[in-house]
Amino acid sequence: MLQYIAKRLLGLVPTLLLVGILVFLLVHLLPGDPARLAAGPDATPETVQLVRKDLGLDLPLPQQFVRFVGGALTGDFGRSIRTKRPVATEIGERFAPTFWLTVWAMAWSVTVGMGIGILSAVWRNRWPDRLGMTLAVSGISFPAFALGMVLMQAFAVQLNWLPTVGADSWRHYVLPSLTLGAAVAAIMARFTRSSFVDILQEDFIRTARAKGLSEPVVVAKHGLRNALIPVVTMMGLQFGFLLGGSIVVEVVFNWPGMGRLLVDAVDMRDYPVIQALVLLFSLEFILINLVVDVLYGLINPTIRYR
Amino acid sequence: MKPLFRPLAGALFAAALAAGPAFAAKDVTFAVASTFTTTDPYDANDTLSQAMAKSFYEGLFGFDKDMKLIPVLAESYDVSKDGLVYTIKLRKGVKFHDGTDFKADAVKANFDRVTNPDNKLKRYGLYNNIGKTEVVDDYTARITLKSPFSAFVNQLAHPSGVMISPAALKQWGNKDIAFHPVGTGPFKFVEWKATDYLKVAKFDGYWKKGYPRVDAITWKPVVDNNTRAAVMQTGEAQFTYPVPPEMAEVLKAKPDLDIVAAPSIIERYLSMNTQQKPFDNPKVRQAINYAINKDAVAKVAFGGYATPADAIVPAGVEYSVQTGVWPHDIAKAKQLLAEAGYPNGFETELWSAYNHTIAQKVTQVLQQQLQQVGIRTKITLLEAGQRVEKVESWQDPATAPVRLYYVGWSSSTGEADWALRPLLASESWPPKLFNTAYYKSEAVDGAIRKALLTTDKAEKAKLYKEAQETIYRDAPWAPLVVEKVLSANNKKLTGVYTMPDGSFNFTEIDLK
Repeated sequence: MLQYIAKRLLGLVPTLLLVGILVFLLVHLLPGDPARLAAGPDATPETVQLVRKDLGLDLPLPQQFVRFVGGALTGDFGRSIRTKRPVATEIGERFAPTFWLTVWAMAWSVTVGMGIGILSAVWRNRWPDRLGMTLAVSGISFPAFALGMVLMQAFAVQLNWLPTVGADSWRHYVLPSLTLGAAVAAIMARFTRSSFVDILQEDFIRTARAKGLSEPVVVAKHGLRNALIPVVTMMGLQFGFLLGGSIVVEVVFNWPGMGRLLVDAVDMRDYPVIQALVLLFSLEFILINLVVDVLYGLINPTIRYR
Repeated sequence: MKPLFRPLAGALFAAALAAGPAFAAKDVTFAVASTFTTTDPYDANDTLSQAMAKSFYEGLFGFDKDMKLIPVLAESYDVSKDGLVYTIKLRKGVKFHDGTDFKADAVKANFDRVTNPDNKLKRYGLYNNIGKTEVVDDYTARITLKSPFSAFVNQLAHPSGVMISPAALKQWGNKDIAFHPVGTGPFKFVEWKATDYLKVAKFDGYWKKGYPRVDAITWKPVVDNNTRAAVMQTGEAQFTYPVPPEMAEVLKAKPDLDIVAAPSIIERYLSMNTQQKPFDNPKVRQAINYAINKDAVAKVAFGGYATPADAIVPAGVEYSVQTGVWPHDIAKAKQLLAEAGYPNGFETELWSAYNHTIAQKVTQVLQQQLQQVGIRTKITLLEAGQRVEKVESWQDPATAPVRLYYVGWSSSTGEADWALRPLLASESWPPKLFNTAYYKSEAVDGAIRKALLTTDKAEKAKLYKEAQETIYRDAPWAPLVVEKVLSANNKKLTGVYTMPDGSFNFTEIDLK
């Protein structure tokens, strides 16, 4: 098992390098001159030239790439074009708010989503199923920005129970995590339901029932474990997506996270920040996939790692 | 544990209640529309960062809330006959936040810094007309220009022209001063959490006695329009700008909020590429001017929070001349098009320099109105990067793809030179500056050049009048509207104004 994890971690290196090259090229292909953008609307050509030099954008592309890779290897991602602060600081300040928001959103949405999914599967085509799936479909189809605005209007502006913007206390987390998790909960509910419906028709479930086990034990012990594999896969994917910082939710709730940073960075063609962010997102995805793979083994001990 | 603590907590609570009103800190929160790029005005290019920096920085000159030039750290100035040497008398008894005195060496340190290309500051271009800065005595500074520039005092009043403590500049260096701003302003810098807010607190040693009247200001960037409206309603912020026209009605209904629509110098116009067919024909350009109903643009796209443009240089900018709103006359437009050889109109591109919803509405209104005289347009809303690539840094004027171009401008120095030269002088064709009409007129070029050389106000006024009237006749633009700046503030808050250029004036800020 440890050997497997070590092997996978080693495999990270070429993947990240490849991502690095791709990102570097793609970012430089974006239309628009970052020096011109940074210099601002009423800058003269001389000023633009000064800014270009200041940002190191006057160097030939291969040289810029070597600088980027060399810096990245030592953990130095350069300075943001927009704010001139180190990229590591820019991202570091925003990582925790996005991370905790994601964790809270995932926590409630997975619990609620799986709960609804299991109930729907057990009482398939009866009213709990209908209700659960109605909720799930609304959750998927209701756009996050609209939900966020409705929640904010109701709980912050009208009732004044919760704060509107900021990320200072647990109360700040309630509305954004509800908004962020809604779609995930809906997806989880549908996934759990379909996975469970399949499993509940398997022979071993019939055997378990025939043994005379009570229905809760059949569902929780025999059903859940086996139904969990696809659900965990989905969970990992969703977690990865949310960790990238939900742009919509972060904008609506003015969340000091990475989604907003990415928008700002793309707007200003802030190359160093875009590159570092995409690398980080790739790394997160790879790590989450690894965790998901390890979880498979814990859920189903018949899975072997090689 | 619990019972033991309860009395104590109760006592504390009572104490807090009793003490509360007496010590109530006057903390004000401003909700603004985008994040700050820097606290260093010499390295900033956005109005907002410069407006925020006014919390802790002041310049030699400045603008009052109506954009009128006033001396701030300067007391008076003299210009030599040849318009080259400016001698500036400084205010005495001014202290920087770090305790050092404000003297002429600060003037020298700051202008030497920005005019040195090695410092690579974004405002280098604005100040590189300064030849040298000298200290005459402690309270007199002398600035010598490379060539006469009669708008120089306006340039000094520009929000970027601030006095940073020379001691702090030495301590932190050219780059890091942005994270440790030290000025003479009414507030001291406290903390900048780039993600969340920038906080400043009252400076007790401020030279203007009795000011500032509040204890702290928190500048909070809230990017989403609806969210900004929400924080005003919950009382989490006391002032916000800009308020989108569609939110104005909602906020107006709130009893504790005031919506203020103030005149601005932000003019929106449609430039036409005069080097390309069919816009090389003045009749076509006039026809387009006749075809557009500016009233409709103001009402539909700006929700009425704009007035039809009646000048090339908007009122409120020094030396502006009201040439009048171009009349809306479809028959005349059609006739002019026919005379120009386009009786059935033509097809062309309509680009917008912005991709926000207001620009979308404006271009749609324009498209529909031009359609009525037979001009069929294809709308493209340019994103910032595209705009730079396709318009602002296009190298060869002969092949420039821009045709009809919706854009806007506000003259940050408050006078006509910066409203005309970058936009309409032939030296300002992209990629140098922003003459997106590729307009070239000997008369206008000459007037702009001559006006910079003279310090005689009457002469300047005459030259600028000539330039604006020529431009009006030649019609390289269809001037559309002059925006109103729309802000909201809590009724308890007074003395905060949005200035005509979208900056803020809060010297009189107070909270009841």
